[in-house]
Amino acid sequence: MKRNAFVILICITLILSPGSSVANPGGNGDGNRDYSCGGSCHGDPALSMPSDATIEITLGNEAFSGQAVAIRVTVEGISTPSQIIGIFILGSLNGNSDTPEDHGWHLIQDPNGGSSNYIETKASSSGSATVTWVLLSPESSGSHVLYAEIHHGSYAGDKAFTGLSQPFEVNVQDVPDGLPGLADDWVAPSFRVSGDSSPLTISTRNSTDISVEWMLDGEWNPTNAELSCKEDPIDVCNDWQVSIPATMGEANILYRVTTYNGTFAIEQPWLKMGTAPPPFEGEIWSARAHSFAFALLIISFLVTLQARLYPRDDSNDLDQTQIVTSSEMINSEESPGWLWNSEIEEWVEDPEYQGGGN
Amino acid sequence: MVSSATMHTAMAEIVIGSMVLATICAIGCSLSKFLPPSNLNSPSLLVTMDRASLAGSMLALAFIPIAIMTGNLAAESHSNSALLYNKFVYSGMALGFWAAFVIARIRFGEALWEVRQLAMLQSATAGIAFLMTTISASIGGKLSRGESLLDLLPFELPLDSAAILPIWASTTLLTLGILCSVLVFKFTLPKIVRIE
Repeated sequence: MKRNAFVILICITLILSPGSSVANPGGNGDGNRDYSCGGSCHGDPALSMPSDATIEITLGNEAFSGQAVAIRVTVEGISTPSQIIGIFILGSLNGNSDTPEDHGWHLIQDPNGGSSNYIETKASSSGSATVTWVLLSPESSGSHVLYAEIHHGSYAGDKAFTGLSQPFEVNVQDVPDGLPGLADDWVAPSFRVSGDSSPLTISTRNSTDISVEWMLDGEWNPTNAELSCKEDPIDVCNDWQVSIPATMGEANILYRVTTYNGTFAIEQPWLKMGTAPPPFEGEIWSARAHSFAFALLIISFLVTLQARLYPRDDSNDLDQTQIVTSSEMINSEESPGWLWNSEIEEWVEDPEYQGGGN
Repeated sequence: MVSSATMHTAMAEIVIGSMVLATICAIGCSLSKFLPPSNLNSPSLLVTMDRASLAGSMLALAFIPIAIMTGNLAAESHSNSALLYNKFVYSGMALGFWAAFVIARIRFGEALWEVRQLAMLQSATAGIAFLMTTISASIGGKLSRGESLLDLLPFELPLDSAAILPIWASTTLLTLGILCSVLVFKFTLPKIVRIE
């Protein structure tokens, strides 16, 4: 009894001991993170090494304050076994409050379709990767600095590699009055559910009109999308509904908004929208009940089968001594030495017969 | 402190290791009835393999519930997906097959291997149980790392789609399972004696 209690206690201790994780060789997932995740293994000089990769930041278009701008990060010469690479876009290197949002930028879309400053992607076999963030520039004009940082693993597996770009200066210019653009609070949707053809809502500012081009990822010829203003346009309309066809499987749609104010047009960066599978409708408790039901049904079936294949002891069926002894026997004068068993209706040998008289 | 995912991996490794031993030994015991006696195929080897398969399967059976519980903790971030649903179902099936394997061995004794049909059923049970466990473990790899060794197979197992039962259907099935188990043990248990 004492021993059972001891074993149960050990099992409970083992189950309750799990806590927080330390290393994540498969990555940590996309998210908003500070420089070196605010002090991970990659930021610890004892656990990390500088990466050999070269990191370069380029600007996709001219930056106006409060307007969308594409920031392209190119990484080359990376060497990692899993090819998983984590890439940051940062506003500073303090270890806290480093995201571009903390420095006046606004993330419209990250390279994976979300709106995070840290993303994970796979490097090509040649060890390079190019990713693009779409951000709204800070409202204050002037010089703003951005950094790109990378994290990856090593072949030896015992070091966390890290690399940092040179500071990249973005000269944000003053916006001419009434410059049309995307709204400050609008975030591009990262995914649409497979088969969903509901219109996409785009919020703009200072726009009298917009046009939207779309194409599937990998195509070269964009198609113009049908669109309508959600409200009655007086002078400007800033809420638009755009019809982009539904996608299936793993298709990505690229689309680009051009905002107009009268005849003045601003072409925004290309945005990406993935396809998400329909939401899973199963319940976890249903899965648990399902699982135990299958376990019990399998046990029942196999135990029945085992009992069926179990060799039966048929010796009792062959041995009829008890029947014979308990039955009423009839002597026959015509057949000495034999008795008539009326129960089984057979002649049986008389065990007491002493011989034929010779 | 250890993360729940690492703990689950450790428990799963114990289960898989024990099951590999149990499965190989069970198949070996069954094969020994079909192969001619030799220095290799001897009665003492049969006894050793039989005991190893019993020990392996009992250890695995003891650790499956712990692996399931730690897996539950580790899977919180994937609480609603077809993969997790399938993992539950395959784990349940593995539990069922291994329990049936151990029940047979304990009820019939080591002479079970002398009855050819029972020996074949027992080794088939071990094989299928191992297959279920492997698929369940493979789903774990898919959930945590997005890949598994089953990716090397030339065909793809449809693990990312699940036959979902509503909660009432699962509960009915569970009740049916409990009822079947009670009836089966009630009617078969008195008739079975250990094979001598």
